[in-house]
This record gives sequence, C-alpha cells and structure tokens, in this order.
Amino acid sequence: MRKRELSILLTAILVGVLIIMQGKSFTSLDQVTNREARTDIFREIQILKNTNDNLNDEVKDLEDKLGKMSGQEAGLQGIASDISKYKLASGQLPVSGPGISFIINGDVSAIWLTDSVNELFAAGAEAVSLNNIRITDQTSGFDTIPNGQIMLNSVILKSPYKIEAIGDKNTLADALSQPQGIIQRLKESVAAVTPELQQKDLIKMDKVI
Amino acid sequence: MRMADFDLSWKTKLVFVVTGVIIGLLVTTQFRSSIPTSSYLTDELEVQKQLIKSFMDDQALLKSKLVALRQKIDDQQQKLSASTKNTNLEILDGLKKELGLNQEKGPGVEINLNDGAAASKMKGEEVSQFLVNAADLRDVVNLLRTTKPEAIAINGQRVIASSPITSVGNTIMVNNFHLLPPFKITAIGDVDVMSQRLKDKVSLPDINKRVKENRISFSFKELDSLIAPVYNGDFVFKYIAEAAHQ
Repeated sequence: MRKRELSILLTAILVGVLIIMQGKSFTSLDQVTNREARTDIFREIQILKNTNDNLNDEVKDLEDKLGKMSGQEAGLQGIASDISKYKLASGQLPVSGPGISFIINGDVSAIWLTDSVNELFAAGAEAVSLNNIRITDQTSGFDTIPNGQIMLNSVILKSPYKIEAIGDKNTLADALSQPQGIIQRLKESVAAVTPELQQKDLIKMDKVI
Repeated sequence: MRMADFDLSWKTKLVFVVTGVIIGLLVTTQFRSSIPTSSYLTDELEVQKQLIKSFMDDQALLKSKLVALRQKIDDQQQKLSASTKNTNLEILDGLKKELGLNQEKGPGVEINLNDGAAASKMKGEEVSQFLVNAADLRDVVNLLRTTKPEAIAINGQRVIASSPITSVGNTIMVNNFHLLPPFKITAIGDVDVMSQRLKDKVSLPDINKRVKENRISFSFKELDSLIAPVYNGDFVFKYIAEAAHQ
C-alpha cells in the first residue's frame, strides 16, 4: 500500500512539474513570437520604405533647387520657399489638413502623452498638438509637477487630453489602434480610461504664440 | 478481503492509466511547442533582415546626400544674400537653427545609457528589464526637453520635436535609423538645470529603479564643449498646408 501511495505521489509531482514546464514553454514561445513578430518586421520595413521615399523626394527637390540657383531671381525665390516650408514645420504658421483626433478621457501619467505623440510622429504625422498646444521644437517636455499634474509649456494639462495630428489619417489611425498599439496598451494598463479615436478630413492648428 | 484488493488494484490501475495518458499528452505537446526551426521561416526571416539592411544602407546614403545638398544650397544662399543684401536670409537662418538644421556647439551634458551585463544570460520577458528600451530614451529626451535645451542628439542622430524614437523587435530606431547600445545622449543647454533634473531620482523612476537593481547602467557628465550634428531627416509635407489666419 505504501509503495502504491508513494508511486502515485511521485507521478502526481511529475505531472505537476510537466504542467509547469509546459506553461513556461508556452510563455517563452509567446515572447519569442512577440519580439520577432512578423507584423513588427513588416512594420519596420514599411517605416524604412516610407522614410527612404521621403528622403528621395527631398533629395530630388534639393537637386532641382540647386540646379536653378544660378539665377538671382530663382535663388531668392528658393529662400522664400524655404522660409514658408520651415515656418510650417516650426509652427510659425497656422496649419490645416486631414488627420486624426485622439482623446484620452481619464487621468494618465506623462509617459502616455509622450508615447502617444511619439507614436503619431513615427506614423508620419506632419503636425501634432495636445490640448491645442502645437508640439514643435519650441515646446517643452511633459513635466510632472509634485501634485501629479502634467505641465506642458507652463500650462497645466487636464483630462480629457485631446491629441490631434495632421497626416495620412488611415495610417495614423492604424498606428494607434493596431494590436498592442497605444490604445490597447492604455486600456490594459490604466483603469477607467476611455480613449476615443476619430479620423477627420480637416484639422486646424493655430500657430505657436 | 480479496474483493477489496481487486477494487484497490483496479482503481490504482485506472489512476496510472489516466496519469500516463496525461503525461503522454504533455510530453507530446512539449515537443511540438518547441521554437520553430523550419528552414522556410528562417530563410524568410533572413530575407527580411537583408531587406532591412538594404533599406538602412540606402537611408544612410540618402541622409548624407541630403546634408551635403543642404550645405551647398546654404553656401549659395549666403553668396546670393551678400550680393543682393537680402534680409530674408536672417529669417531663414533662425528657422534652420530652430529646426535642427544647423550644427550646434556648446556646454551641456553627455548621458550614457547601456544594457545590463547580465542581459545576455536572461530569457523571455525578463530580458527587456536588462536592455535599454526606446521608452527609456524617450523619457530621457522628454526630461531634457523640460529644460529647454538648444540641441539633443542620440548616437549622432539629432533629435528634433518630430523625431520618432521607437523600437521594432529588439531594435531601437531614432529618426527611423537603427541605433545600437551603448547610447550616448548629448544635450546642449543650461548645464546646471539639466544636471539638477538628471540627479533628481523622481525624474526618471523606471530607469533609476533598474539602475539600482544593476539591470542597466546610466551615468552623465557635464562638459564644456559638445557638438550636436545637423538633423539629417526630411521635411516633406504632403498633408499640411497653411491655414487661413483666424
């Protein structure tokens, strides 16, 4: 009897060990898959392709511009067009275009705002604003003050956080709503947060004051 | 007595049979769940890696072309402006400085962030705790931006407002360009303010926690002279246009 009980006990332990091993092997496999996910590689390839396409476009533009610069008038026109373009980029002009509106209802920490803005620029946003503050090179970082509130450009931000971005509205929306994208991660990590995403044909942003 | 022995033996047999079946199933599943090593998948991944490498090589070439062309145009514009006394050039220079299109030089801080030595021994989810993640770089850059720096760069990539800092798999990309650890973050600006923010343990909670646990390394030094290179990304606008003044 004791031998039988012992062998049953040993077998049960062995089964337990195997169950744990199995569970771990599934977890490891998931992690390997996630880190080397095909979607990630495809996304990387897409990002690189878009980047190179844009770089190619700009190189062609600059070559063209350089070729025309021998004439004085064309040269001065080139300066004027650069000024207009860089004013759009720096927020010195009000801008408009298609894009998305992403609203985060609820209290979140500054990292979520940093990551949301980053995600939109990574997806090719040409202009981004948060609660009507355009994010430019003159904008400060997101600062968390001692009482936990988030400050941007000396303005205390309050929920709802409305992030708007101008760019390819489908690409921008896909970037936020993709599996394991910021919307999913936000919902999983922060309780009582309701993100709202809307594609829009026209978004307007004021110039930086 | 014999009947009881028979019952016990039958029950025990049943337990062993069921257990045996379970073990058999588990062993089979265990073997089947091993990481796929099929040559098709490996080949496919290899092709994708080659494709990425080819894109990266093209990108490096295009970026150096872009910087050289911008410099040539700048030289031409300087000459033209001198001969025509065109004052617009001053406005243009101001905008270029703001957008990171000028090399910046000045005092600042140099931050070093590196993966933990034990990273290579780690497996699964734990490994990310021993690696510098894109989020760490974003947090440091965000912190530096609160001090209104003149320029920030990571491993020679100038970081501007629209510079994405992302991770795809195990790779970190800044301006969509692959970077490898160790990460050297250069920030030109008010050294005292930047140092104060970086020393504040509350500022970078996740990084400081992992540094304390010897998972990653983080250090910084104040320097009198640092150089931040020119932004080498594009400014191609396909969607934004100037809006009517309100």
